[in-house]
Amino acid sequence: MGGQGIERREILRILATAAGVAQFPGFCKWSFACGHLGNATAQIRPAVYRPLFFGAPEYAAIDCLSDIIIPHDTTPGAREAGVAEFIDLMVSRDPDLQRDFRGGLTWLEGHSRAVHSKPFLKLTAEQQIALLEPLAYKAKFRKGDAQGQEFFNLLREYTVMGFYTSEIGLKQLDFPGFKFYAESPACPHVDDPEHLHLPPPQW
Amino acid sequence: MVTPVPRQTYDAIVIGTGAGGGMAIKTLCEAGLKVCALNSGRRLDPEKDFRNHRMPWELKYRGFGDPKLHSRSGADFVGDTEYVEGAWETGAGCTTAPGTKWITARCSAVGGRTNFWGRSATRFGDIDFRAASLDGHDVDWPVTYEEMAPYYTRVEKMIGVASTVQSRPSNPDGVYLPPMNFRCFDHILQKGAEKVGIPYLPDRIAQLTVAHEGHPPCHFCGDCTSGCEVGAFFSTPFFLLPSAEASGNLELRTNAIARKILVNENGQAAGVAYIDRTTRQEHEVYGRAVVVAASCIETARIMLNSTSRHWPTGIANSSGQLGRNLCDHVYGISVAGYLPQLLGQPSFPDNVSDSSIAWMPRWQNLRDPHEEQFIRGYSLYPDGGCWEFPEYYDNIEGFGSSFKREMKRRYPTPVSIMTQIPTLRSDKNYVDINPVAKDSFGIPLPRIHFQWGDNEMKMWEHARKTSADLLHAAGGVFEYAAETPENPGYSQHETGTCRMGNDPRKFVTNRFGQTHDVANLYVCDASVFLNCTDKPTTLSILAFALRTSEYLIEQVRRAGG
Repeated sequence: MGGQGIERREILRILATAAGVAQFPGFCKWSFACGHLGNATAQIRPAVYRPLFFGAPEYAAIDCLSDIIIPHDTTPGAREAGVAEFIDLMVSRDPDLQRDFRGGLTWLEGHSRAVHSKPFLKLTAEQQIALLEPLAYKAKFRKGDAQGQEFFNLLREYTVMGFYTSEIGLKQLDFPGFKFYAESPACPHVDDPEHLHLPPPQW
Repeated sequence: MVTPVPRQTYDAIVIGTGAGGGMAIKTLCEAGLKVCALNSGRRLDPEKDFRNHRMPWELKYRGFGDPKLHSRSGADFVGDTEYVEGAWETGAGCTTAPGTKWITARCSAVGGRTNFWGRSATRFGDIDFRAASLDGHDVDWPVTYEEMAPYYTRVEKMIGVASTVQSRPSNPDGVYLPPMNFRCFDHILQKGAEKVGIPYLPDRIAQLTVAHEGHPPCHFCGDCTSGCEVGAFFSTPFFLLPSAEASGNLELRTNAIARKILVNENGQAAGVAYIDRTTRQEHEVYGRAVVVAASCIETARIMLNSTSRHWPTGIANSSGQLGRNLCDHVYGISVAGYLPQLLGQPSFPDNVSDSSIAWMPRWQNLRDPHEEQFIRGYSLYPDGGCWEFPEYYDNIEGFGSSFKREMKRRYPTPVSIMTQIPTLRSDKNYVDINPVAKDSFGIPLPRIHFQWGDNEMKMWEHARKTSADLLHAAGGVFEYAAETPENPGYSQHETGTCRMGNDPRKFVTNRFGQTHDVANLYVCDASVFLNCTDKPTTLSILAFALRTSEYLIEQVRRAGG
């Protein structure tokens, strides 16, 4: 060891080694693509995912809810990024999470039946969104929905965690850490330190 | 008849291989001394153990860690992650007195915390060494800046520090590599800082902006605190141990947990008893000198546990000051928000913001030590930009396409400011030995007594107000300020427990880090510091350890060794 005269190509060799050890033997449900910088392959997911914790109806609800929170619009959403699988994995490892997710799903199911006399998954997309909005926006909050609000926050947290750590999610943000740099990246707006004359926002 | 094997005696035994221990090992070995170094954990293999180039989706739990092992409220967590495993011992090595909330994270791997440190590397100055003369609190350090400056210069040349000459009264300038470049948000915050009268400057950072002394330049991947597999910032294994090992004078024993310093019939240090982590067997190693560099709390623990007929309350503790005077930095988010100027702009590669590229060095109490409601001063560190994980999601309401679009718009905009506030020395803050609790090897555990004091809490309030003013002046939107700082211990900048001073009745070591009581026992870590100042500790640990090591060599040569 000892960094004596390590050059660029040596860094690349080391990176290749690191990529080689990025394997998770014995774990196949979620395939964490072990490609590396430069050849980062898409996440490969099995055609049929068998949940580690959730029952089939619960899992379908999680998948549906995550896709409502981060939908496919002009770009892919939570479903394409496999967020439900991530949530299932995390929940499978933590009894507190299991209690909160299961309790929350039960609440939502009861709420849906109380309002529409139908399970959540059988509602129209508009009805689903209308049911969630009082849980998501403080201005629309209704007394008595505190448990639902808490569950929605938890669900949204784990959806964000799953989505923005996936390759799909980080590419949408244009996460700049996919690259190495020869020198420390410098602000390109040297003539405008206060950044008051930038080009119009792209998004 | 069996001939007894002659017992090997090393010139020096060094306990610990972090910044202080590493510097002692290098300096002693290069001078020709035979050194046995003890490290409580394993060697890391940077190519295998550092997974900093892994993308989150290449990690099983996406870098959040296994929920079974890491609690959801993991804000206090410092230690192993999915990016580095088997390097840290979190919480295991320490206990706390009732009412004390201290976060302990010992890095047991070879090189200790230098493997993962924050790399901010600024010199202490006379404003620190002579602080007591200026404001009347506590006592001055037994050294002057003039005396320390050459050691700082040598250390900076050795490790490579990127910065600029800034001529700040609180921060002596050093020898620097080209600085890291400012990011968009740095320029905006700098303008805000100008308006409220705060300096906003390139930090001093031990990160190689150019190749240096055979070490490669940084490639700005942005995940330094998971370890650097090419050694483009200072760490003991990359910068100090190679030459020691090449000298042929070093024997490094890993997984060797120091239990006790052994003494001879005169009460002088004779060696170290340690337990092999893998076999759980106890061994002894003998030396003509012992250097303790196990980090502040562990150093105090080992010395307090080293009781004998000569030293009933711990070795070299005739002053009763061993373990006392624990200091730490108050860390906390004094403000967080976003810069609307950058909304919807393309992402910028400021993920190198894992580094403290900029800082706001102490500006308080410079003209007059009593111009503020508190004495001494603090520094602030800004952060922000396009992070790997968009933590700001919690500040955006709702869901659906509008939420997704807002997440994208906000990506380049987040900013936050973190405090680095020194505690004053206090009788309430110290380390002793827990009378009942032992670790799994049967070694009595240390017990921390620690509370924030009034002076540092005044600074905390001052920092919160100033940071909010700065963000406002920069045109930023305020979203959050922590009500209370992180728990003590979070900063990993603890100092004290073996303070240096000229009076043997009041200090554990003399001005060279040699214990007053035991002439062949030296301390080479931040334990000898009188307080933690507003600056990070590593550069000063290296400078003081270099000086102590050379003093030790001089003593050996003088004795004809």
